[in-house]
Amino acid sequence: MLNKIQNLNYLLIFLVILISFIGAAGLYSAAGGSYNPWASRHLIRLVLFIFLAIILAFINIKFIYQFAYIFFILSLLLLLSVELIGVFGKGATRWINVFGLSIQPSELIKITIILALARFYHDLKFDEIKRIKNLFFPILILFLPFALVVIQPDLGTALSIAMLGILILFASGIRIWKFVLGFFVLILSIPLSLNYLQPYQKDRIFSFLNPEADALGRGYQLIQSKIALGSGGLTGKGFLEGSQSYLQYLPEKQTDFIFTLIGEEFGFIGTMFIILLFLLLISVCFYISIKSNHIFGRILSIGVGSNLFIYVIMNISMVSGLMPVVGIPLPLVSYGGSAMLAIIISLGLVLNAELNGNLKKIHNA
Amino acid sequence: MFYSEDKKQYSVLNRRTFLLYLLKVSFFGIVGWRLYNIQIKDSQKYKTLSKNNQIDVEIIYPLRGKIYDTNNKVLASNIKVFDVYIIPENTNNINKSLNELNQIIKINFNDRRKILELSKKVKKFQKIKVLENINWSQLEKIESNKLNIEGIFISQDYMRTYQFDNTVSHLIGYTNKPNREEVELPFISNMPNLEIGKDGIEKSFNPNLIGKSGQREIEVNSYGRVIREISRQDSQKGNDIQITIDLRIQQYALNLLKEHKAGSVVLMDVNNGNILCMASTPSYNPNKIIQKPNKEYWDSILENELSPLTYRSIQGLYAPGSTFKMVVAIAGIIHGIIDTNTKHFCNGKIGLGDRLYHCWKNNGHGSMNVSDAIKESCDVFFYEISKKIGIDKISKVAEDFGLGKIYDIPLPNQKKGIIPSRDWKKKKYDESWYPGETLISAIGQGFVLTNPLQLAVMTSIIASNGKNIKPNIIKRNNDIEFEKLEKYQNAIQIIKRSMFKVVNESKGTAYNSRSVSAPFAGKTGTSQVRRITVAERESEDFRKKEVEWKKRDHALFVGYMPVENPRYAVSVVIEHGGSGASTAAPIAKEIFQFTKNLEI
Repeated sequence: MLNKIQNLNYLLIFLVILISFIGAAGLYSAAGGSYNPWASRHLIRLVLFIFLAIILAFINIKFIYQFAYIFFILSLLLLLSVELIGVFGKGATRWINVFGLSIQPSELIKITIILALARFYHDLKFDEIKRIKNLFFPILILFLPFALVVIQPDLGTALSIAMLGILILFASGIRIWKFVLGFFVLILSIPLSLNYLQPYQKDRIFSFLNPEADALGRGYQLIQSKIALGSGGLTGKGFLEGSQSYLQYLPEKQTDFIFTLIGEEFGFIGTMFIILLFLLLISVCFYISIKSNHIFGRILSIGVGSNLFIYVIMNISMVSGLMPVVGIPLPLVSYGGSAMLAIIISLGLVLNAELNGNLKKIHNA
Repeated sequence: MFYSEDKKQYSVLNRRTFLLYLLKVSFFGIVGWRLYNIQIKDSQKYKTLSKNNQIDVEIIYPLRGKIYDTNNKVLASNIKVFDVYIIPENTNNINKSLNELNQIIKINFNDRRKILELSKKVKKFQKIKVLENINWSQLEKIESNKLNIEGIFISQDYMRTYQFDNTVSHLIGYTNKPNREEVELPFISNMPNLEIGKDGIEKSFNPNLIGKSGQREIEVNSYGRVIREISRQDSQKGNDIQITIDLRIQQYALNLLKEHKAGSVVLMDVNNGNILCMASTPSYNPNKIIQKPNKEYWDSILENELSPLTYRSIQGLYAPGSTFKMVVAIAGIIHGIIDTNTKHFCNGKIGLGDRLYHCWKNNGHGSMNVSDAIKESCDVFFYEISKKIGIDKISKVAEDFGLGKIYDIPLPNQKKGIIPSRDWKKKKYDESWYPGETLISAIGQGFVLTNPLQLAVMTSIIASNGKNIKPNIIKRNNDIEFEKLEKYQNAIQIIKRSMFKVVNESKGTAYNSRSVSAPFAGKTGTSQVRRITVAERESEDFRKKEVEWKKRDHALFVGYMPVENPRYAVSVVIEHGGSGASTAAPIAKEIFQFTKNLEI
């Protein structure tokens, strides 16, 4: 046990804490220079979740491996129940209350997707991967939660699930031509899927294409967030000096748009610093993956790193106008328990994978 | 559970992991490049936008100066009014709110539709004006129901108000929003919604009355809500203005004019040229113009063929008729054509060329000297002497006595009128002067046109023994001394004695209007508005006949009071009033008596 504590990847833990502290600083500023209501709870959650992640790191990986499918099915049921509550209860919802904590099952399911896929490819002989029939199960694992999230409707999460699946399938060694084919199918399905989009989602996409056309309506968020970023310049306006957020021009500044607040107050240097921290964190995940001696640990680490990557890239692209506004938080920085819990727990799994990386045989261990 | 392909699989996985990592790094590169563009390259543009976001400059409108009469009675001031707005985001049902408001104050259907349309267009937090300039009692009703009406917002404003409705409306004018050209005026500068004077004193004194705008810089958030005030520079109230009008006389005069469709009374202080009363009827109520909606009222004004907007005292032009005879007589005296003994015989008409020129008295006045001719207003006497004087000399005297001039008083659109001369006719019609036209002019007909204020000024100059009086409407602290026209001294004395006889001796045309309490002197005038046909003239009593109002003669009277050391000069013009003696002179009498009573 002592050995395990010594071998924990403290760089990873340090990065998580550092990024979360930057998040807390941003939330402190977003509240107009106050720990309440966001920064304090953000920090409490950080402590709680890090503790949880370290406990998770010490669990025998065999246990996690054995329960991978069970976790997936449980989280799928949770997602379904949210859906059913939405249908039979009072209007649509994405949240479910577990032990007093509001949890977004769509955040959790990403982790269990990673687990399920990691186990599937761990179990599969390498020769078998190329067989078409062995595509059926992973695609089912991806499609069920994707479909449930799409009908919620939560475009951002659905998109991130799809991207996560593609990245993991790619990493696990699926033939390249299958991706090319899949890519074409995706392109062809875009006009079709447009019909199924909710009006507000269409608005978002069109306002993304030309935000200035409707500066006070749909394009408002985007223009204001670009103004916040741009007016920060190289060094920013200084901590607590961001007028855009102070004057409430920034929409959802404590959640999805927290990055623009940091960009306004700390400038290009601040945004680059955060991006480099995330890149470093993802690199650590990849390093652990390469080091791992079993497929389960490899796929798990790559999956978690990719999940993190998707969050970060989608969020920053969204607030800087590279992508429509789809509602994806910036992990560890944005306020919100579910995403933070999901990210830190998944990183706990990576810690676990590293501690157990030398195990030759999980199955019989 | 590891297989022989282990090595192969791991090398594939390593390769894929490496590619994936490359992909991610390049994505981070794209995002970084994007941020570089926004935060470094275009930073300046966004910095400007950010600044515009926060600072809003709000103009503080100044309070318009008040207008007082000569006795410090307020004629125009500002009252607090309230505007009612609705804020769409604060109400669940804008229709319901409007319905509830409608029960207190009627909102017209069109306005209501406009408000609903607007509410769909503007930002949800933007105020939409529903009612403008509501008064206290209406506000109270709304306030007591405010809790029931969702989304209502009330703001305070000032509205111009005229305490005496239409009593001084022509003189003071009214205010309204500037039109497209007026917005460019320098004193409006940054206040496009400022109510500015559109007529009368309000218009002429816009730069004085308006004052100076203030401004405050405020920080606003994205909802347009004010976060804090950064700087504030208060507005400066406009200057007050005191005019020479005595409201009591003005009201009294207007009351006398009420019996007539259209007319004017001007009363001047002979000592200083101050205009004490300058009433014109019909008039309009400026409060009804300011209070919106005013379309109905505007339409009624514009459709009224008597044109209530016309300020007859300075914009109405009338042939002066016999009131012009003083000028002719003075010209005759100073040019030595006549003296007090010169007599002409009036048999009712004289001939010149192939035309006959009639006296108003068909049977003639008999032998007349200048005094009698003025007293009885004999036309033939003036025909005779004008032939000898000539039009140009008459014109010169007329101009010296203030006729045919635009005065330097701050009232817009004064009408100059016409004092004809040979040169004038040549320029105007490119025709030479006919001797017959001199005769017509000598009795104040033909080309001669004057406005009532000019007649009052003429009378003032006579009353003051030839002081070159200039009318004045803005109260001065120190009276100014007018130079005396010495060459007219002798003539004026003769004329004044004659004017005394007009009112105070039997056979004088205004003898019926003589006053015991306030003896005055004056001259009647009756000016034709059309040529009288021979047939009419031959019928015995054509003047007494009921003729259509529009064809009746204008009735005029000019006079001064008291007889010795006159203080007041008056001109009364009643459009189509019949005759000066019957209609205008009695009004002058009332005015003089009323004014005299005020002195005590």
